[in-house]
Amino acid sequence: MSAPSTGAMPERPSGSLVRKVAWHWRHDEKRELWIGWWTLVVFYNLYGLLFFVVTRTQPPPQPSLDPAGIVRWFDDRHHGLIYGYAIVFIVGGATAIMNATLAYSMRRMSVSRAFAYAYLVIYALATLPGMLLMGIACTVGAMRPDRDPELLSWLYDFAFLSFEGTMGVFLVGSLVWMAAVLLDRNRVFPKWFGYLNLCNALTEVVVAPAWIFKSGAFAWDGTIAWWTNMGVFVTYTAVFLTLLRRMILREDFGTGPLPDLPREGAPQASGSMEATR
Amino acid sequence: MRRADGEVLLLWTLPGVAAIWLSGFLLFPGFVPPMSPTMSAEEVAAFYRDPENLPRIRYGMIVFNWFAVGLIPVLALIALQIRRMAHRTPIFSYAILACAAGGPTIFLLADLFWLLAAFRPERDPQLTLLFNDLAWVTFSSQVGFLIAQSVILALAIYLDRQERPVFRPWVAHFNLVVAVLLMPAAFAGAALTGPFAWDGLLTFWVRNGAVALWIVVMAVVLGGAIRRQRAEDEAVAA
Repeated sequence: MSAPSTGAMPERPSGSLVRKVAWHWRHDEKRELWIGWWTLVVFYNLYGLLFFVVTRTQPPPQPSLDPAGIVRWFDDRHHGLIYGYAIVFIVGGATAIMNATLAYSMRRMSVSRAFAYAYLVIYALATLPGMLLMGIACTVGAMRPDRDPELLSWLYDFAFLSFEGTMGVFLVGSLVWMAAVLLDRNRVFPKWFGYLNLCNALTEVVVAPAWIFKSGAFAWDGTIAWWTNMGVFVTYTAVFLTLLRRMILREDFGTGPLPDLPREGAPQASGSMEATR
Repeated sequence: MRRADGEVLLLWTLPGVAAIWLSGFLLFPGFVPPMSPTMSAEEVAAFYRDPENLPRIRYGMIVFNWFAVGLIPVLALIALQIRRMAHRTPIFSYAILACAAGGPTIFLLADLFWLLAAFRPERDPQLTLLFNDLAWVTFSSQVGFLIAQSVILALAIYLDRQERPVFRPWVAHFNLVVAVLLMPAAFAGAALTGPFAWDGLLTFWVRNGAVALWIVVMAVVLGGAIRRQRAEDEAVAA
């Protein structure tokens, strides 16, 4: 049974979460967008948990560890690396639907489709340096603790430098989103979010010296290369999740400017039963 | 009206791609039976140094490389069928295209590690073991984009609410089953023996079997969908 495409939708049920989700699955016209948004929210929380708690690969260890220290580092978190990254490998493809949802925000703007397409392809590839290469290196390192320590330290460098040092995808991706937001006339995102993209892009430049320094603020565990980067990234992610949620609430599936959110308590423009009650 | 010229040609590349996959699979002496993760560095080095094996490793992996990329046009056809579904947004077709870009890239990486191990087999056995481990772990554990592809396709089919949906609901159920069958392979690094090891029942046989079955089933239903679409397009044009 499907809901009529215009006019009144059946009343939203109150009560259990399952019934609410089932209602949205059946009747909510924005369910595709909400699937994408909830995937983003769940994934970023899981990502934090897996990287900071389960694998304990973040915050990153020192690049200056000697091979014996690196052997100990792998020993200390053997199970965390193996099982944590196995879960990363299972859910890693979820980034596809997440990036598709973010690309949709650009499609809804008044700018060319080229922005959405460029963003989609860039972030599809970003999954490799963003987590998968590090996971492969850590898994291979952990699976044979008796490997030659010199080779284990090569895997250690591979893990952290692929994660921290290959930021071109995030740099260009953020700039594409920035340009789209600043050019957009459909008011999908506020203009200040365009400049926040620039902040995120700049932190990706700031991590580049991680290829040169083994200690200090610019090393891969440094105050500038890691802490500033992570601080900006977490803020940026929280902001775009909030703005994306507002975009979905405002979405009218038109091509013109997005309408404002209805004020609290005001009747909903989508013609829900509550408005006529 | 959307132009569908050439789609049948792209679809018929699939038997060719499948033949490449089969020949790569049979050529590479490390697949039948799969190499054991318990082999020592010396045994792994001896495997690559064996003059019987070396050309088969190289040729097998060279054609395996073609196979991964060869699947991309077919994924593009699936993305186009998703476009025909009764959705409000292009999110699902975008997501399939993102999987098409990400998945084969990882497969290429595994292929590269195998070929590197075979390029100078006289190298220190510890280095050959490292490349061999990187190849097998990448090949076995990287199921994320394949799982996502199946789940996204299933969601797209379930939400395709029209009188004659593009794919029948069983195609969605089938894709969810495939996604579940692929999951144990992510644990390839957890054990050197048993069903989760890279030569184990779940990680090697079930996973590769699921991928092969997916290709065959999706080829058939995709062919059917394209045929119906062409018939509808001709009826509209007439």
